[in-house]
Amino acid sequence: MKKSYSILTVLLITVMAFGLAGAQTSPSIIKVGISVPLSGPAGPWGTVPIPAYEAWVELFNKDGGFKVGNKTYNFQLVFADDKNSPEGGAAAAKKLIYEDKVNFIAGHWSWNFPSVSAVANQAKVIYLGRTGNEAVPGGVYDPKKQPYTVFANPSLEEFVSDIHAIVEVFPNYKRIGISDSNLGKGIGWDYLDRDLDKAKIRYHHEWYPPGTQDYTPYITRFNEAGCDIIYGGGDVLAAMMIAKQRWEMGFKTWKTGTSGAVLDPMMYINVSGMEASQGLMGQYFGIWDFKKTKVDPKKIQRVKDAMEIVSKKQGKSYTYTGWVGWLPHHLEILAQAMEKAGTVDNPDAIMKVIRGGTFDTTLGKFTMSGAKTYGSPIVFGTPGAMSQIQGTKEVYLSEHPLTHLP
Amino acid sequence: MPPAGIWIDGLIQSCIYMTMAFGMVLVFSILGILNWAHGQFYMLGALIVYYTITAAGIPFPLSILITGIIIAGLGILVKKIIIDHIEGDLYVGVATISLIFFFEGGASVLFGIEDKGLSIVLPGVLTLGPISLSYQKLAVIIFTLMVMTAMYFVLNRTKVGLAIKATAQQPDAASLYGISVERLSLIVMGIGCALAAMAGGIMAPVYPISPFMGGIPMIMSLLAIVIGGIGSLTGAIIGGIILGFLNSVIAYYLSYLSEVVLFLLVIFILLVRPQGLFGASLK
Repeated sequence: MKKSYSILTVLLITVMAFGLAGAQTSPSIIKVGISVPLSGPAGPWGTVPIPAYEAWVELFNKDGGFKVGNKTYNFQLVFADDKNSPEGGAAAAKKLIYEDKVNFIAGHWSWNFPSVSAVANQAKVIYLGRTGNEAVPGGVYDPKKQPYTVFANPSLEEFVSDIHAIVEVFPNYKRIGISDSNLGKGIGWDYLDRDLDKAKIRYHHEWYPPGTQDYTPYITRFNEAGCDIIYGGGDVLAAMMIAKQRWEMGFKTWKTGTSGAVLDPMMYINVSGMEASQGLMGQYFGIWDFKKTKVDPKKIQRVKDAMEIVSKKQGKSYTYTGWVGWLPHHLEILAQAMEKAGTVDNPDAIMKVIRGGTFDTTLGKFTMSGAKTYGSPIVFGTPGAMSQIQGTKEVYLSEHPLTHLP
Repeated sequence: MPPAGIWIDGLIQSCIYMTMAFGMVLVFSILGILNWAHGQFYMLGALIVYYTITAAGIPFPLSILITGIIIAGLGILVKKIIIDHIEGDLYVGVATISLIFFFEGGASVLFGIEDKGLSIVLPGVLTLGPISLSYQKLAVIIFTLMVMTAMYFVLNRTKVGLAIKATAQQPDAASLYGISVERLSLIVMGIGCALAAMAGGIMAPVYPISPFMGGIPMIMSLLAIVIGGIGSLTGAIIGGIILGFLNSVIAYYLSYLSEVVLFLLVIFILLVRPQGLFGASLK
């Protein structure tokens, strides 16, 4: 009888131990929706980062995820194609929230901020996106109606920082030409102009119709305005064509580039030509190269490991760094905000922590602006970093910390 | 007066619009339909040239010829399998619009959506004093001259060409004279699509290659046709030339407003002279 009790006790302890261990290794899942273009001409911007996002989240979860109280949580990603259109954005946000039941929307960058933000805020789903013409005063963003929006990537402010970073590294420039499609024309550019005027940066704007392939007329106008650098608003096609066509027109010493990270240097080289694409500049999130911004070495390693995993899977070196500044940065903010707020499902409590909170992400340690900027928290202090193409590689060029717009 | 570079640019644009417009008008003159997927044949042409060069190592001029033959065959298939089985111009138009999405989607799945480039083909720039012209663009001018000369001879010196012209003017009479309009329409569809594909092929080193590259050339060739006259082959050429130069010169002066002005001009032509500058009557 005694023996039986002993066996029973051992069995019970074993079951309990395994049960507890099981409970410890099965964390709760926080679903994060990502609404980006997955098809159409803007598709590469959405599809290229996905393998890196997935690898990074896997590593983040493997490293223990995050804890709220005694409970461990892991992130799970759900993607939806926003087709880079307002109606596509609204449909993607609705699908993510009401069908996939995501807890947050993050990693969103495309032009349909208003539609995604409207759907997310109505459902009280915290949404981490970017600034642009819509976000600044006079744009469609209304902080009272959209209290769950976080401008985790201040794209407009990053663009300003890019220009500062460029003129700092090329101080003998004559004039910087700023090019963008007239779709991007809006109130945000007034803020940009004001900042550049204040900094006494010489610049000239040119706007072209969307879908333009022939930039000869615009390059001619830049030349007549005395420009020797052309920096664009994130249109890869325009960047490749301006680099190529300015070279063909004989302006071989001009520097060219575009906001948005370099997708793959070989794509630019194949389209623009080896010589024409040399020195082509893009935004850079190779955080291991940062000189002015300090990033936690553990976070750098995780990013490197994720890129290594993707490189192995794809059988070629994965060099795109843009992903580092988007979703991982957003997820770090969310995880730390939930830990500090002590809740995963109270959006008001989480937003309270995000406003003015200090976070340590893949872009360094910084304090969110609270409601001082446009009525929504914005990340400031993260780097506006630039790279350029050298040979067939992308290398660090310069860095200028994000500052507040007037 | 715009600088020389703008006029050269206008010439390049003209070349491509006139080749595209010529193919479209050719199809319209015999089949009586506007092939809305004409731009997608342009796109497929560029993709085939890309792969024949990068994967098979075929020389550029030969790859353009191969592209023309392949896409001519595809055009004939589209005519046989789809167009011939649909009644009514409107429905045929809708079918060719559907083909835009079919070809774009298919090309996206097969070849991916990332931009591809052929900068390795004809690299370098020809510099004559203040004028710079890439060899790639010089090739566009030479190609257009060759194609237009070839088309002139085909249409004026060959039996098929004379039959095309006769059928375009009087289809019933041509039929009475023993011309097989059905057979001729297949040939014309093949030539029209081949022209679009070869135009895409010659432009492949000039612009990025992607499944979505056909939209703008299609719209511009349509504008060229409206300017020149919808049923007129001469109109397509002149319309293409006018549009190419206008596009460059207006963009130089008015920047992003150039498209607005171009479309206003087309509306004005439609109001004042609906048959276009060369006055070919509508079918």
